[in-house]
Amino acid sequence: MKNSFDEKILEEAHDWVKTNQKVILATVIQTWGSSPRQVGSRMIVNEKGDFSGSVSGGCVESAVVRECIGLIKDNKPCKKIEFKVSNESAWEVGLACGGEIAVYLEQVN
Amino acid sequence: MKLETLKAIIEKKKKKSEFAIITNLKTGESEIFEKEKPLSKEMEVYSNQINEFFKSKKNGVIENSEIFVETYILPIKVIIVGAVHIAQYLVDFAKSLNFEISIIDPRGYFASEQRFPDMKIINKWPDEAFKEIKTNENTALIALTHDPKIDDPALQHALKKKFYYIGALGSKKTHENRCQRLKEDGFSDEQINSIHGPIGIKLGGRSAPEIALSIIAQLVSETYNKK
Repeated sequence: MKNSFDEKILEEAHDWVKTNQKVILATVIQTWGSSPRQVGSRMIVNEKGDFSGSVSGGCVESAVVRECIGLIKDNKPCKKIEFKVSNESAWEVGLACGGEIAVYLEQVN
Repeated sequence: MKLETLKAIIEKKKKKSEFAIITNLKTGESEIFEKEKPLSKEMEVYSNQINEFFKSKKNGVIENSEIFVETYILPIKVIIVGAVHIAQYLVDFAKSLNFEISIIDPRGYFASEQRFPDMKIINKWPDEAFKEIKTNENTALIALTHDPKIDDPALQHALKKKFYYIGALGSKKTHENRCQRLKEDGFSDEQINSIHGPIGIKLGGRSAPEIALSIIAQLVSETYNKK
């Protein structure tokens, strides 16, 4: 069982905001099949592409960072992205385990 | 997510009270759900589903909706009766599994700090010890002394308080005798059958860490089966 009280990623997001960084929360909201991290797993990304935490075992983090930077540039509040093996990008950022995940991106504002 | 919501979540986490973050995935708006506190009009219709996520200790998107629920659930209380060798391994396993362990053992030479560093050990008889611990249907009991004087009062307390998991160490014969005693004390067959005895799932091992593993495996499984 996960103890969400012990996770400090939201506290870190708050610290980033306090130092005037733009922060996106990226949260695993759905998984299908086998996936490396469970629903509720989270990473945070700033406008420079610095990140902390994780949403997979390193399989899709680079793509998530790109999407987050895009979100900040376009000044959009939120976006849902899905990673599937059948995606064309699978060779690049697919999940080696064969699972699928949906990640929700939202700006802290 | 609004900055003020983020701040409110961090405050709630500090207070160690259970809650959930409810996010409308379409708008990115979030609010905090707490038991017995009203939700906004928009989220009110989902209260049953949100409560389900809470009970099953899971996160997820409510079916046929764009609402994401992320729950913050406190560790489950597990009470071990008997500061025996197996208990030492149970403590190790439980640390990484989000269980909060208390050990009860009236025998001081067992329940020493040296054997259980950084552990909450209650050096009293179960009837006295339970006055110090708040227990309910979310509590689990692992009775390990196989001494009726110590185990039985704890088992009786757990049955009365409807603990979701009750396990007792001992052979089939020991367990039969235990069931007989509980029957004589007025407990129903249904109550008695809810005790996992002999405790643990069958792994085949007999060593202390192996028995601890089989107990913790059963406990985790029952925790997820809990309604």
